[in-house]
Amino acid sequence: MSTTVKRVYGYLAEFESASALYKAAEKVRDAGFRKWDCFTPYPVHGLDHAMGVKRSILPYFVFFGGLTGFLTALVLAYTTQVVIYPTVVQAKPANIFTVPAFFPIMFELTVLFSGFTTLFGLLGLCQLPRLNHPLFASKQFHRVTDDGFFIAIEARDPKFSAEATKGLLDEIGGKNIELVEDDNK
Amino acid sequence: MGHHVTSKDIPVDGEHLDRSKVAGIMRICLIIAVVGTIGAFAIMLGGDKESQFVGSVTYSWLFAFFYFLTIAMGGCFWTLLHNVSNSGWGTSVRRTMENVGFVFPFMFVFALPLLFPQVQHWLYEWMTMHKAAAAHAPEGMGLKDALHHSGDPHDHLLYNKFFYLNQPMWYLRFFLFFGALGFTIWVQRKWSIAQDTDPNPTTALLFKQRWHASWGIPIVAVTITFAAIDWVMGLDYKWFSTMFGVYVFAGSALNSMAVIILVTIFLRRKGYLKNVVGPEHDHIMGKLAFAFTIFWAYVTFSQFFLIWYANITEETSYFLLRNTSNWNTLSIGLVALHFFVPFLMLLRSDVKKSNKFMIFMASYLLVLHMVDVYHMVIPERGPSVTSIASHGKDIHLWVNVSAAWLYDLVAFVVIGSGFLFFLLRNITSAALYPHRDPRILESANLHN
Repeated sequence: MSTTVKRVYGYLAEFESASALYKAAEKVRDAGFRKWDCFTPYPVHGLDHAMGVKRSILPYFVFFGGLTGFLTALVLAYTTQVVIYPTVVQAKPANIFTVPAFFPIMFELTVLFSGFTTLFGLLGLCQLPRLNHPLFASKQFHRVTDDGFFIAIEARDPKFSAEATKGLLDEIGGKNIELVEDDNK
Repeated sequence: MGHHVTSKDIPVDGEHLDRSKVAGIMRICLIIAVVGTIGAFAIMLGGDKESQFVGSVTYSWLFAFFYFLTIAMGGCFWTLLHNVSNSGWGTSVRRTMENVGFVFPFMFVFALPLLFPQVQHWLYEWMTMHKAAAAHAPEGMGLKDALHHSGDPHDHLLYNKFFYLNQPMWYLRFFLFFGALGFTIWVQRKWSIAQDTDPNPTTALLFKQRWHASWGIPIVAVTITFAAIDWVMGLDYKWFSTMFGVYVFAGSALNSMAVIILVTIFLRRKGYLKNVVGPEHDHIMGKLAFAFTIFWAYVTFSQFFLIWYANITEETSYFLLRNTSNWNTLSIGLVALHFFVPFLMLLRSDVKKSNKFMIFMASYLLVLHMVDVYHMVIPERGPSVTSIASHGKDIHLWVNVSAAWLYDLVAFVVIGSGFLFFLLRNITSAALYPHRDPRILESANLHN
């Protein structure tokens, strides 16, 4: 038996179905919690609305990522093909009217930079990759990739209380309510 | 909307827009369309064969006719696509798609002038050349051989294209377009409406529509492509582009969606469709409009880019005309206003759910589609009409007719009134949404 004091991660509760989880999520949202999340084996339509999740800031990153790609391609192609080394193809002008020839490059780099910003922006906002998550300490949580629907309310939420939060989860239909402790410390 | 829609929210007999409520608009539209069409027919069919004015009017008519034809064909496309892809999201707007598509058979009325030699004389040079070759052919020689043996080197091109560009086939295709696609959209809409009064609604009619939409899709694709080739690309028989059909299709699908968005918004403003169409549908339709804005740009640029880059004489004639003089301003304007502006404006997801914004955006797209069709048809007018009127002695980029653009506008209003009349006729002749479709609740409670 270890005597180390472990940090409490929060409460984990299981729900019977996606619709039970959906309705429970609305109640947790209305109770005013901020640091909590739903875990399901598959995407549930409208769950973000039920959870009261605000729109992600990611689209703005992607817009400026795409714009960067667009301008990079324009400057790259224009500088090399028109300014530094004018390339004359089939007597076409090497000036601003050559720009249609650069459209494919501009298109591709816009898509590429948008794609990269989406991927890395998403990973950054989700704080991924990470090696472990405190919820992995829970045995029942393993079923989340199979048939388990869970809500976890974190202890660092200002509204969290050892008694009342457990009562709330119980009241909204949560089963197997478990206090998850952080294994790491 | 806003709450979970159940079968209690769907009226047993569906929602209907009573015809008496739009009788005034319909009457005005009908009067404008009938008077305008008779006037235009009189000018085009009875006018002087060497008058630049008459020639200008034929181009105005073709421009306006083709504009509204693309929108109707797009409506057929959306109906068939919705059915063949077994979609659940759009069941509540499907009837609107059918109503826009079902204007297509009625467009036959406005296509009639194209059948007459007086009009073909101005629009389709190849037909005139066929007639000249036939007239000069030695006795007993067929038209195809006559083109082969003619002294004019251009006739040899027509000899090679004879399998497609010949008058019997052209007339046959003309009737096939209206017959085949007209029948397809008629039968789809018929089954859809039959379900409205089915006392024991099942999935039978739904599956029937889906199954039969599978052959409807090739018909709509072939009709849009070859109607564009016969009526617009045929204005310059020397030019060809395999991208042209796709280009016209992109504009059709985009602007037909714009009309569908406008119709569903106006119906909701008048208090209809409220239970079954909401912001989620607006969002999806906005996304489709956004996607086709990009598709239009992609296809249009692909057509231009390959021709511009390859620079092969017989392919460049289309752009030689449109990328010089004032037409170049219009071409560049289209790139900016038909792509960059709507692309950036439709980028945000919340604006697609705003009805006010989408009314503006859909109207904007429809205006730009008008410019796009203008850019397809009208540049051909100056050289063709001045050449025909002066027997090839005095060819100009612009017709010598004061305010020729005014005839374009009048033709647009006349055929537009006809389009609106037939659209309102369709909307008022059946329930506003398929209220007995098994998936109407799925569609009403849409989440995306």
